[in-house]
Amino acid sequence: MQGSATRPQKSRPGYGVIFLGLVVLTAIELGINLLRILPPLSTALYLLFSGLKVALVAAFYMHLRKDSRLYTAVFVLPVLLLLVFALLTIAI
Amino acid sequence: MSQQAMQHAEDFRAGHALGLDHRKLGMWFFIASEVMFFGGLLAAFLHYKYTLGFPETAELNVVLVGINTMVLLTSSYTVVSALTAIRQGRQGRFIAFLLVTILLGVAFLSGQIYEFADLYRQGVTLTSGVFGSSFFTLTGFHGLHVAAGVLWAIVTLFRGLRGTLNAEHNMAVEIFGLYWHFVDIVWIVLFTQIYLIV
Repeated sequence: MQGSATRPQKSRPGYGVIFLGLVVLTAIELGINLLRILPPLSTALYLLFSGLKVALVAAFYMHLRKDSRLYTAVFVLPVLLLLVFALLTIAI
Repeated sequence: MSQQAMQHAEDFRAGHALGLDHRKLGMWFFIASEVMFFGGLLAAFLHYKYTLGFPETAELNVVLVGINTMVLLTSSYTVVSALTAIRQGRQGRFIAFLLVTILLGVAFLSGQIYEFADLYRQGVTLTSGVFGSSFFTLTGFHGLHVAAGVLWAIVTLFRGLRGTLNAEHNMAVEIFGLYWHFVDIVWIVLFTQIYLIV
């Protein structure tokens, strides 16, 4: 029964590759901080890299890439709502 | 009752609906509620950060917290490796990866306690101002979630040692993994918003 909720598996990088990607992205973030790169460039880079890391963990480690789209919807909808919420608080 | 309705009732009794496992779907709904919980706390932190400026962020030890972030990312890798191991019926590897996860979780908490103690020594406390209140509430609740995850990992480890988890029955490990990875995701966001973005 569960098989019907799982999308066909595509070729995917291994968990070790994903882990290395996460470590490299975090190291780059720390490098940006230590090099004291100024905003708005640093802010844009931090947001890009943290977004990438969240996407990697959710897609590969939480298996959203191959699991039912319903799980993705349950996770993504409140995240979108949160983003709107955060933007509104910054705008006020 | 139609045959289709009877099939749905049978699936429901078996713990599945819409082709989804009830326990896993329940965990995803719990995670959705946690997104809103941490979202509320983070929105409050961001509001004060952008209205008051928070000069106290200069006191934060970004390198120490960066290392702690690496520790938590590593623990996510060990959790997903533990799940792979139990699905392959490799009990020894499963136990080993779970043990490493527990140690990494404890290491993260130790780093956080060290950071909190350091901030307290510098006069940044829960009651010292808006920064202290919002910072300790946000990161403290995350730490509590990590502590709960460590306890959950210990329970899962004992279930593994008793042999109740195996290649056929491992949904408990997957659900624990979802929780742990979510706690990791929350930290990725907090690390960026609190420590990196000025």
